[in-house]
Amino acid sequence: MAENKKVIIVERSNKTVYREGDVLVKVFAKEHAKSGVFNEAHITSLVESYGVPAAAVRFVKEIDGGWAIGVDFIEGETLAEKMKNEPDNFDALLEKFVDIQVAVSKFKAVGLRNTVDKRAEEINALPDLDPSTRYELMQRLHGMKRHTKLCHGDFNPSNIILKEDGSWVVVDWSHATQGNAGADAALTYLELTLQDPALADKYLKLYSKKSDIAIQYIQTWMPIVAAGQLTKAKTDAEKELLTKWISIAEYQ
Amino acid sequence: MAEKTVNVPEVIDSVESLEARMAAMRKAQAVFATYSQEQVDKIFKAAATAADKARIPLAKMAVAETGMGLVEDKVIKNHYAAEYIYHAYEHTKTCGVIEEDPVYGIKKIAEPIGLIAAVIPTTNPTSTAIFKTLICLKTRNAIIISPHPRAKKSTIAAAKVVLDAAVAAGAPEGIISWIDVPSLELTQTVMKDSDCILATGGPGMVRAAYSSGKPALGVGAGNTPVIIDSSADIRMAVNSIIHSKTFDNGMICASEQSVTVMADIYDKVKEEFAYRGCYFLKGEELDKVRKTILINGALNAKIVGQSAYKIAAMAGVEVPETTKVLIGEVESVDISEEFAHEKLSPVLAMYKAETWEEALDKADQLVRDGGFGHTASLFINTDETEKMAEHANRMKACRILINTPSAQGGIGDIYNFKLLPSLTLGCGSYGGNSVSHNVGALDLINIKTVAERRENMLWFRTPEKVYFKKGCMPVALDELGTIMHKKRAFIVTDSFLYKNGNTKQIEDKLDQMGIVHTCFYDVQPDPTLKNALAGTAQMTAFEPDVIIALGGGSAMDAAKIMWVLYENPDANFSDMAMDFMDIRKRIYAYPKMGKKAYFVAIPTSSGTGSEVTPFAIITDSDAGIKYPLADYELLPNMAIVDTNNMMTQPKGLTSASGIDVMTHALEAYVSMMASDYTDSLALKATKLVFNYLPRAYENGANDVEARDHMANASCLAGMAFANAFLGINHSLAHKLGAFHHIAHGVANALVLTYVMRYNAKEVPTRMGTFPQYQYPHTLKRYAEIAEFNGLGGKTDEESFENLVEAIRKLKKAIGIKDSIKEYGVDEKYFFDTLDEMTEQAFNDQCTGANPRYPLMEEMKKIYTMAYYGEPDTNVTF
Repeated sequence: MAENKKVIIVERSNKTVYREGDVLVKVFAKEHAKSGVFNEAHITSLVESYGVPAAAVRFVKEIDGGWAIGVDFIEGETLAEKMKNEPDNFDALLEKFVDIQVAVSKFKAVGLRNTVDKRAEEINALPDLDPSTRYELMQRLHGMKRHTKLCHGDFNPSNIILKEDGSWVVVDWSHATQGNAGADAALTYLELTLQDPALADKYLKLYSKKSDIAIQYIQTWMPIVAAGQLTKAKTDAEKELLTKWISIAEYQ
Repeated sequence: MAEKTVNVPEVIDSVESLEARMAAMRKAQAVFATYSQEQVDKIFKAAATAADKARIPLAKMAVAETGMGLVEDKVIKNHYAAEYIYHAYEHTKTCGVIEEDPVYGIKKIAEPIGLIAAVIPTTNPTSTAIFKTLICLKTRNAIIISPHPRAKKSTIAAAKVVLDAAVAAGAPEGIISWIDVPSLELTQTVMKDSDCILATGGPGMVRAAYSSGKPALGVGAGNTPVIIDSSADIRMAVNSIIHSKTFDNGMICASEQSVTVMADIYDKVKEEFAYRGCYFLKGEELDKVRKTILINGALNAKIVGQSAYKIAAMAGVEVPETTKVLIGEVESVDISEEFAHEKLSPVLAMYKAETWEEALDKADQLVRDGGFGHTASLFINTDETEKMAEHANRMKACRILINTPSAQGGIGDIYNFKLLPSLTLGCGSYGGNSVSHNVGALDLINIKTVAERRENMLWFRTPEKVYFKKGCMPVALDELGTIMHKKRAFIVTDSFLYKNGNTKQIEDKLDQMGIVHTCFYDVQPDPTLKNALAGTAQMTAFEPDVIIALGGGSAMDAAKIMWVLYENPDANFSDMAMDFMDIRKRIYAYPKMGKKAYFVAIPTSSGTGSEVTPFAIITDSDAGIKYPLADYELLPNMAIVDTNNMMTQPKGLTSASGIDVMTHALEAYVSMMASDYTDSLALKATKLVFNYLPRAYENGANDVEARDHMANASCLAGMAFANAFLGINHSLAHKLGAFHHIAHGVANALVLTYVMRYNAKEVPTRMGTFPQYQYPHTLKRYAEIAEFNGLGGKTDEESFENLVEAIRKLKKAIGIKDSIKEYGVDEKYFFDTLDEMTEQAFNDQCTGANPRYPLMEEMKKIYTMAYYGEPDTNVTF
């Protein structure tokens, strides 16, 4: 049994994460927008309502002048840790990862924002994009169908917790949208490519097979999600890769 | 009130300014819409001339701005867009009446669509702008252009050249406009607020156009596969492909993306490509180029319209600077193969096919995956027509080019002069497009068709010979021997007439002429198909060259059926019985008759008129279907109306068939298809029946004059309704007879006065549809019959009442009872089957010519009244 004392898990300049009993508390810095915290709570509570195994929201409140969100603390190991600790079991864990992503996308995300709108906002907000590329990207995005599947928006192994009983819980829903499973897979592929391109390719093939979504369809989202990640690029190499991804021409 | 003035901003960079501009353009277009063809042609010529003159600066601008393509080739494209488009439409009528045929009363009027939205791509920014603005000017449309941001300056410059020249030549100011600062939002606004979209672009753009809710002439991606067949002229093929593939650095959407070469000529083809400056990628070079041309399955924007040398350099592959095309020899046509995609650059995939089938499969796959509906190309010896047909059949492409560089060939009028010149190529439903042809000026007009009322051609058809007069039969039959030299005669009659010796005179005459003959004398009343088939078997075995039908309607109808089946053993019966709205437009075409036998009809009753009609009724008793056959092929060749054959008609037959004649005459006269030709016959027939039927009925064989006139009346009425057809009196009677076994003539008589009153209504629920039937006028037509028969009446209404009264008297005089009930039809059974009988009567072929189009409920009421013999004045509907 967990005791009711604070155990710091992460401490960064913009937020502090600690455990207090069975609650995981994220306290954001004072500059962090209040609306952002409520938004995360709102999204997470919607996701709970669909019946998705997620860490449930417990509260939003002010702690030491900053806004904080409290969610269920989930006991277990993240899939990322497990992948690292059990290299021999990697392939099976990757399969599990894809299975969970496919399972999540089966939920209908009523009430969440649509992926298309969110990506359009991201592309329009990019400061240095040349008008031609922006035009091409917006045109491509505009041609996408608006689906209603639940998309996590940051689906990677570190956001999945495996419990001892073998069940799973997905955490950190702040980027979730309703939309196209292909778009969510493109995001995951992009994140994995930045870490390990070979793993990313392996993931893509597996995801396409299990979800029955063509790789070519997932690829049509790649320039769009790459644009969204452009401002978050950490290194020049990342930026170069993302820039390459968005520099494509529509067939004519 | 003064009109509100809207200030239209100079620069279009926001939704507000765009909307203001588009509103101003609509006003300009409204003025342009009033221009004459002469004014428009002057503007079209001036604009095309200006664009043509500006072709070099515009080409330079396009290359400088986009960094794609080759100035010299863009000059050709601009030249083409101005000159070829002008030439194609120089003499095309696009304003006002463009087509007229006064005889048929048809006129076509061209009107502009209004405000056209044009999306212009980066690949052909100036030439497409010239093309679209010119075809809009020619069709009096305004056009607003949404350029691509990468090519906006050159696109706008081209549009401005055309606009300035057009305005100088008299076009309204602002008839051509553009977005200065393009964005997707403005492109969408342009599409949404226009009247029609000319969208040239990729799948995203085309989808956007179609989802805007406005009609769109969208086009899609191409992925042209070319096959070089073993029979092809290799040098011509290879150099055509190079010529096309290098054109403007491969930026024309119709240009070749892959070449599939038959194995037996593969090495020679490769040698020729290499000899002419193409570079075959080797080993790792192939992968390097693969990774350069495509990023995550999408075309790398940086290679579009670049030279082979530059692309190779980007990929880290060293090739001579003069390299024309980079060729990757690959195997897979799957989209996972980068080379299988559209590349918009001088990069080409090359496949080897062991068999022709394999080549087709590959090309088919490439079209489906990357260029559905666009273009496919084939190099072949044109003697190989089967292969060419197979290729055209297999390719889901809207342009199939043979022995042609596809870039220059697909846009039309350069390598084939019947393919419309265009820079917007439709991909059909394959590519999600509304058009499958090369888009042109005529796609930008609304054509109004003015169709004036015209009356149908009518006809008058009878047997070539109608002989009549008491005692004429042997004289008429003489022709069969002396003139026609017939050898074998087949007589069709019923057993009564046969046993009664009525055929004897015919047989004697035939014997006398040495014509061999036999007789089928087993025709039953209301003959069945089985009955007719038995006769046909006998007829087929006998092989007659003349058929003689002797009897009433049954014998003549049965003989007609035997004649059809004898001449055309494979004819399908249910097809022949197909109903028609207009006998000339019926789906089924009757087989030609008379190849084997001449048909002579000799009536023995004065009633059906079958000797001169193209009709026959036969019952399939197994299927329970009555087939009414109607076609002029069934018209007898010779009718012999000899009163001698009719003298001994019993009273009942005289009465029933006599009133049938009256019904024929009345219905033919009031039919929508009645004409001066049939009217005269019908009127005379009514007079003869009124005057002689009661006498023939009373006096029988003793009154030769009455019999004679009734024989003629029957034949005259037959010719009238053979051409004017009948009406619902017969529809009702046919089914009444079939359901309740009432003699046909009696059945007609039982509903006659009800139908007359029903048809005579001046305000019918529905009138019949036939161009010459202009308004309900049947009351007047009945009044004409009354007048012809001297029945009196000061008004049409009075004359009509007198006619109805005369018919009533006639029926009484010849012993027709007053109601269906009196003929022993069970009341319960009658009403149990009434709905079905009504529907069948409604569907009877005779209903079509009735002057009043009946509702089934109304027909049912007539049946009910006739059942109880209610006064016909009860017909108030």
